[in-house]
Amino acid sequence: MPLAEEASGLALFLPESYDLFWSAVILVILAAFFYFFFMPKFNQIFDERADKIQGGFDRAAQAQAEAEETKKQYEDQLRSARTDASKIREDARSEAARIVADAKKRAEAEAEQVSAAAQKSIEAQRAQALVSLKGEVGAIATALAGKILGSKLDSADVQSSMIDDAISELER
Amino acid sequence: MNGAVSTALAAGFVTRAADTQGPELPSLNEFLPPEIIFAGTPFAINRIILVRMVATAVILLVLGLTAKRAKLVPGRWQGFVEFLLEFVRNNIVYTVIGELRGKKYIPMITTMFLTILVFNLCGVIPGANIAATATIAMPLVFAVWTLVQYWAAGIASHGLGGFLKEELFPAGVPWPVYILLTPIQLLEIVIIRPFSLTLRLFANMLSGHLLVAIMLAMSNYFILEAQGALKGVGVLWFLGSFALTGFEIFVAGLQAFIFCILSCVYISQSLGEE
Repeated sequence: MPLAEEASGLALFLPESYDLFWSAVILVILAAFFYFFFMPKFNQIFDERADKIQGGFDRAAQAQAEAEETKKQYEDQLRSARTDASKIREDARSEAARIVADAKKRAEAEAEQVSAAAQKSIEAQRAQALVSLKGEVGAIATALAGKILGSKLDSADVQSSMIDDAISELER
Repeated sequence: MNGAVSTALAAGFVTRAADTQGPELPSLNEFLPPEIIFAGTPFAINRIILVRMVATAVILLVLGLTAKRAKLVPGRWQGFVEFLLEFVRNNIVYTVIGELRGKKYIPMITTMFLTILVFNLCGVIPGANIAATATIAMPLVFAVWTLVQYWAAGIASHGLGGFLKEELFPAGVPWPVYILLTPIQLLEIVIIRPFSLTLRLFANMLSGHLLVAIMLAMSNYFILEAQGALKGVGVLWFLGSFALTGFEIFVAGLQAFIFCILSCVYISQSLGEE
């Protein structure tokens, strides 16, 4: 390429009108694309993402609050259940004490009754024994008297054996 | 032959002797490509404009699909795009302008950053091989946008008179200084700011392309044409072109970042103190 054909450096810095035209057209197209499609679209994505993250935080906070609430309820329930249980235990204990006391009282009454009945029965048996003894003593005395008279007191030996018989019969 | 090479090197990219068999070094003409469609009309399209259009189509398609399929839980690609968006928002707009006032400039700066980034990266994409920002018109259009925005921001927050007074007659300066200061300030807000933005971006893309192209041309020349040990020099050139390509990728991001940061700084200055 000969020297003569080399463009002068100055030409580089003088924009051609068609070059300016196309540059402007291209810039307008690109600017329109970025202003009306690209940036709004990405801003929407960024906003949505921020919303989602913020929403996630909010939801987590809400869940925590709910959990806190539930825990409180549960603890309340637990506390009242404990109170109820101890009350029931207390009641049961006093009830049991009452029942035991009742039972003891009844048992004592019964025991007294039983011992009174036994006393009475012993009394009756003794009276009966006395009556029957009296009868038997009479009979024995009568028999003894009869025997004494029957053997006519023959000898000293007879006499003594007769007395022994009578006594042994008495002892029986 | 060595003489020819050193001539070519010394002459750099600006010119090269017509009769040498040296490497085909890139020339400035690559930044003034011929019109290939609608030649001669105000709608003419050259190679760089075509690259720009393809890059635009790719941006629309890829980012359009990304936005359309955007999910609440991002995948890898969406995560990367979101990283870029958050970088622009937090590290450029919010850092410089502030969160409250900066919000309305996020779409503008995002458009600028992603577009300039992709356009710059075209310089290292095979097939394109030239940054879509490598004619002055594209950076200029971006800079004019910034100009309009910081004028609008100034007028909106101080009124036209208030804005001009603030910019042209800064408080706390003795009045004779205004004779010197006011014209400079006027030049600054009308010409210097947009043109510094434009030139910085354009010149970076231009020089980056030239550097990588020279490296590749030299490695091509040395490896194919040179004899014996000199072929090794070609390998060095080739390795250098790798490094410079990496550097170009870095510069592509850096220049997009600087352009956006400065736009924000100008807007922030127009808005004045909070």
